Amino acid sequence: MRPILLQGHERALTQIKYNRDGDIIFSTAKDQHICAWFAHNGERLGTYHGHQGALWTVDVDPTSTLIASGAADNTVRLWDIKSGKCLKVWDFNTAVKRVEFNEDGSRLLAVTEKRMGFLGTIVVLNIDLDPEAEQDDEKKLVIECEESKPTVAGWSYLSKYIIAGHEDGTVSQYDAKTGEQLDNTQVHDVDGLITDLQWSPDRTYFITASKDKTAKLVNARDLEVMKTYPTNTPLNSAAITPKKDFIILGGGQDAMEVTQTAARQGKFEARFYHKVFEEEIGRVRGHFGPLNTVAADPQGKGYASGGEDGYVRVHQFDKGYFDFNYEVERQARAAMQQ
Amino acid sequence: EDADRGASADLAVVEHRRRLLDEWLAWRSSTEEDIREEREARGLPLDPVEGLIKKTDESEDQVIE
Repeated sequence: MRPILLQGHERALTQIKYNRDGDIIFSTAKDQHICAWFAHNGERLGTYHGHQGALWTVDVDPTSTLIASGAADNTVRLWDIKSGKCLKVWDFNTAVKRVEFNEDGSRLLAVTEKRMGFLGTIVVLNIDLDPEAEQDDEKKLVIECEESKPTVAGWSYLSKYIIAGHEDGTVSQYDAKTGEQLDNTQVHDVDGLITDLQWSPDRTYFITASKDKTAKLVNARDLEVMKTYPTNTPLNSAAITPKKDFIILGGGQDAMEVTQTAARQGKFEARFYHKVFEEEIGRVRGHFGPLNTVAADPQGKGYASGGEDGYVRVHQFDKGYFDFNYEVERQARAAMQQ
Repeated sequence: EDADRGASADLAVVEHRRRLLDEWLAWRSSTEEDIREEREARGLPLDPVEGLIKKTDESEDQVIE
């Protein structure tokens, strides 16, 4: 698996997203611009300038028309992918740490930071996918998180629930229409801040990554923890691979605690686990600092990682990856074909 | 004897994996079925993006004509 190295950011990466077709990658970093890249050759398709602070988050709508971004300048921005034009700016009281479109791109959620006098919130905005359209100013729903600040959030299947991960290791489920909290579960350790939440293709379950060094696979309907993936390092990101039953984890000790040698040798690794068997199956080295974000190509052809070192590494899976099967998987497939 | 012990341990591991995989596949198929019913009941397409993509294709076709 020979990676393509994408050089376009000068600061630590914060999030990577593939579009639905898996041919374009969007990346954000602390250097205030968004980059778009062709996944197959790493060529830069464009950059999006306008934010006045570190960028924390980006998402692309399911038709690959618009992207949304959130930043330390307390704004959410909506961009036309093709023209690079900023179509809309929504202002908030604090930094925006996470944005996500729902399954049909009609709504966008934004997670805002907790700061003196302001609670952490999850805000819902209406989106018109037509780049020519006037976008709605109004915040359709504001969920205030009084108990523990939200760090990540996303939309379930049918846009039925909003699921949020919190600073105190809990995951909560809200009614996406009313904002009413339906459930709250201690999924990770009490001091295990949840750093990432990514969906299965059908949004019926998701994976969380935490500073408590584990990732968990959780049922969106009842917040039941179905699988646990223990590691020996604080995790920043976790992704579910389509086509194969794997998950990809990224993390690493923060710069202060890292030995010079480890950093020099690029020993920071993406870890692959079998999703169902919870067993580690491989690691991919390369970054010179912790992995802040990992993303799986929705078409299942590869994955990308973004590091504290400012690089994006894009990997195309090879034949060995697709051929890899446990004996019981081979038998199950054979039985199904009969 | 050591080899036997190894073999039976392997067998236990394989049986454990088989159970995990069966459970997973059963959960997936029941969940997929539930979602299909829920989408149909709400009159939604099975693929949430299906309608959106078609719309774009049509408008592109019109431009070509």
